[in-house]
Amino acid sequence: MPVFLKMSVSITFVRPFARVLVPFTLHRKRRVLYSTILQRFMSSKIPAVSYPSKASTSPPEQLELDGWKITMKSSVQESVPTASSTKDEDPVAATRELIEMWRLLGREVPEYISEEELKTIMECASKSSKKKYLKYLYVKEKMKKAKQIKKEMKAAAKEKAKEDQLLETTKENKQQNFLFLRLWDRNIDTAMGWKGAQAMQYGQPLVFDMAYDNYMEPKELQNTVSQLLESEGWNRRNVDPFHIYFCNLKIDGPFYRELIKRYGEKWNKLLLTTTEKSYVDLFPKDSIVYLTADSPNVMTAFKHDKIYIVGSFVDKKMQPGTSLAKAKQLNLKTECLPLDKYLQWDTGTKNLTLDQMMRILLCLKNTGNWEEALKFVPKRKHTGYLEISQHSKGFVNRLKKSKTFNSFPKGSLNICTQKK
Amino acid sequence: MTFCFTGVRSFPKLWKNNSYLGLCPGHSYMSLFPKDCYGIRNQHKWFSLKTASPQNTKATNLPIAKARYRRKGNESCNKQVSPESSHLFAAGAAKKRAQMNPQSKDHALPPVKNIIQLPTKPLNSEEWDKLQEDFKGKANFEDWIISQMAHYNSSVDVAKSLLAWVAAKNNGIVGYNLLVKYLYLCVFHKQTSEVFDIYEIMKARYKSLESGGTSLLIRGLIHSDRWREALLLLKDIKKVMTPSKKNYNDCIQGALLHQDVNTAWNLYQELLCQDLIPMMETLKAFFDFGKGIKDDQYSNKLLDILLYLRNNQLYPGESFAQSIKTWFESVPGEQWKGRFTTIQRSGHCLGCGKTIESIHLSPEEYEYLKGKIMRDVIDGGDQYKKTTPQELKRFKNFVKYCPPFDIVIDGLNVAKMFPKARESQVLLNVVSQLAKQNLQVLVLGRKHMLTPCARWRKDEMEKVQKQASCFFADNISEDDPFLLYATLHSGSHCKFITKDLMRDHKACLPDAKTQRLFFKWQQGHQLAIINRLPGSKITFQHILSYDTVVQTTGDSWHIPYDEDLVERYSYEVPTKWLCLHRKT
Repeated sequence: MPVFLKMSVSITFVRPFARVLVPFTLHRKRRVLYSTILQRFMSSKIPAVSYPSKASTSPPEQLELDGWKITMKSSVQESVPTASSTKDEDPVAATRELIEMWRLLGREVPEYISEEELKTIMECASKSSKKKYLKYLYVKEKMKKAKQIKKEMKAAAKEKAKEDQLLETTKENKQQNFLFLRLWDRNIDTAMGWKGAQAMQYGQPLVFDMAYDNYMEPKELQNTVSQLLESEGWNRRNVDPFHIYFCNLKIDGPFYRELIKRYGEKWNKLLLTTTEKSYVDLFPKDSIVYLTADSPNVMTAFKHDKIYIVGSFVDKKMQPGTSLAKAKQLNLKTECLPLDKYLQWDTGTKNLTLDQMMRILLCLKNTGNWEEALKFVPKRKHTGYLEISQHSKGFVNRLKKSKTFNSFPKGSLNICTQKK
Repeated sequence: MTFCFTGVRSFPKLWKNNSYLGLCPGHSYMSLFPKDCYGIRNQHKWFSLKTASPQNTKATNLPIAKARYRRKGNESCNKQVSPESSHLFAAGAAKKRAQMNPQSKDHALPPVKNIIQLPTKPLNSEEWDKLQEDFKGKANFEDWIISQMAHYNSSVDVAKSLLAWVAAKNNGIVGYNLLVKYLYLCVFHKQTSEVFDIYEIMKARYKSLESGGTSLLIRGLIHSDRWREALLLLKDIKKVMTPSKKNYNDCIQGALLHQDVNTAWNLYQELLCQDLIPMMETLKAFFDFGKGIKDDQYSNKLLDILLYLRNNQLYPGESFAQSIKTWFESVPGEQWKGRFTTIQRSGHCLGCGKTIESIHLSPEEYEYLKGKIMRDVIDGGDQYKKTTPQELKRFKNFVKYCPPFDIVIDGLNVAKMFPKARESQVLLNVVSQLAKQNLQVLVLGRKHMLTPCARWRKDEMEKVQKQASCFFADNISEDDPFLLYATLHSGSHCKFITKDLMRDHKACLPDAKTQRLFFKWQQGHQLAIINRLPGSKITFQHILSYDTVVQTTGDSWHIPYDEDLVERYSYEVPTKWLCLHRKT
């Protein structure tokens, strides 16, 4: 048992550092740092070999409690001079070391940090923003690792399946007749392209208002672009797609750059309209409806002759009323989804993501059924659907009426207070 | 750290488990869920009008239920409260208000998962091995057990035996996380020699430490003769980030403990320069140290601390107030006498009879606040957010051509005071009572109040308009900013009526200083109606006439302080005072 333990432990300690060493051969300083640590671990093993037997032989009454300190102190004596020489060089290295120590402490910090990320950390204004960013990197790293492992497992499984299949095919090896070649993905793409072109000509416009770039942090902007990408994808796959407009899209603005970065080559082949102009210049003002959760007007039905505008705005800083202010300024009609009417809202804001909006609007366009469309509202935000049947409505109204009547017989307050 | 590795290693296992377990409970959950929630809703629809309060906590989540429930809550609160209990801004008032609303759910205690009894005496390695076998948890055994020990403050020896066992297992190596937790225990139990040992070990093993370990070392070292090394550690922290106020507190305490006053003051200056707010303990330590010292320079610095408290509207705690009192009384040659008192409503100190500073702003402050409210709260960079330019213009004209008002009423807030009474009637009632006293009244509201309906009667609204000037904003505009501006515009004598604490508007102001100014003005000008029943003669919460802030007249000091047992919210002020005056 003790042998087994010792083995597993030494493996866990050496492995991470060995892993560290490989991708960072370029950074000399780092390599020195880790190799010294590695050295320490290696060297510390040698004097301590005899130690465990000593501890186990000592009688339980007088426990040897301070012995470990000697090994801890003595084990690294030789590597101290190199450590102190690099000690106070620059804050960057110091930060890197601090993060390394935090990692040893079990804090949520990443294992590897690039120079660029380190610079971002140094630029963070406050301690908590540093911690937040480190946690973000940590989670990112973990996800990446998990993905990597999954990938490897999948590859192994595939390999195995292939071998099995190979065995089978060699056994049977018979010809089969097919109607189609396996070119499904390409065919689907072409079909969607045709539909998209059709939508460009005859489709109902749906506008994304890109004028919010200066209300957002870079992080929020990236999220917005992700959501835009996703909504465009949902639209492309629909039977009857919208004709998407990206309005107020400043050329070389942050939105534009991020979109080009994400779409790459495809950007110029997208079947949607991008323009620097505003929607009020493109469409008649009275057919525009600005969708915003702050609107006092509730959307009752999807109208096929209206132009709906969705603000491409992820608001993590809580600036309520920004889009409503915009619509007010341009004197546009506003509407919000009838979430309260159909759903028992539980938690979360009524602001939905862009792709959810897109799916809801597509569903409304095709079926006009609110229950069906509001399936795309995240389930965590509500507890279920409300049924507004005629009967219960009338019942509640009746009760309300009788109640107000009772408490105010002739509108007199005195009687009311007496009754209490 | 270890979590990361164990996570990675056991990943395949987890993955398998998930796919296997995921089906079964999820399925049953889904099938139960809709039935359950419909059931509640139906029951609710039929009975909520009769039952006093929904018993099922889930029902309170429903929007309809919420509204009704809140009304009920208010009602019961209306009945229970004795009206003169406490001022709107008095310390502890918010807590009391919260207790009167029975909405708070009782928090379920977290399930006890501690299966292993923490050892009370040092164990040998066999016993530790056995204990590890008993332990079945996700976390690393050593990590977990030392965390538990740190949490329950086990004795140092037990922890040391654990470390010895771990070291024996790992060829004499003890992980950094274990060392830090052990260090925590040593510092907690004030085992200075152990702290030295750990310090040596850490110095030997690691070339730099992280902030947690360093903070513990600082705290451990300051009580010993090697306290100057704590200052070096502080310097190390500064290389990477700003030290916390606790680090500074420890170092200052250490310096004072070893009679090095200059270092202590230098550190204090540094702390202030970093824009940190010093801990009250730090300030208290200076006062405690100064006891019985006759040194003009030192006492001037202490008075500077008091002025710092005044400027930043900080209030000392009870024990700090005691220290201040003791210091003043101990100053040789000056016969100070201190006592703990309260302030009368008229603004006179019960102890010495002196008048406390008035709550009213100086003319410059007043103008400054008015400008800030206009620019940051109403306009805020985008006039469309809270109103529209047309409406703003209309409002400005309206204010300009109306005589200055005595009272500005938040119509909607006042009208919704009693949920059972009709809105327009409550409003009319309040307005006519105020108008009878020959006061110039302004009622602010929204346009929808003018459209006749069951709750807003036309004849009553007309009567309101006859007795008071009215301004109705658009239904989607905010009325509170207008209320603030109208009050400020009318002058210092003008008050406003609302129960709203205006915290959201205060938050729109750019800096802490303006916010404090706003809060001071609000304390002096906000009237809150404390009637519990509609129809009776309205009574207002009294307005504080004095400012709750540290203040001096040269030979007297008045210092408000927080009592230990009262929880004060940030928008409340203390009610207890320390009155110091010199015998002449």
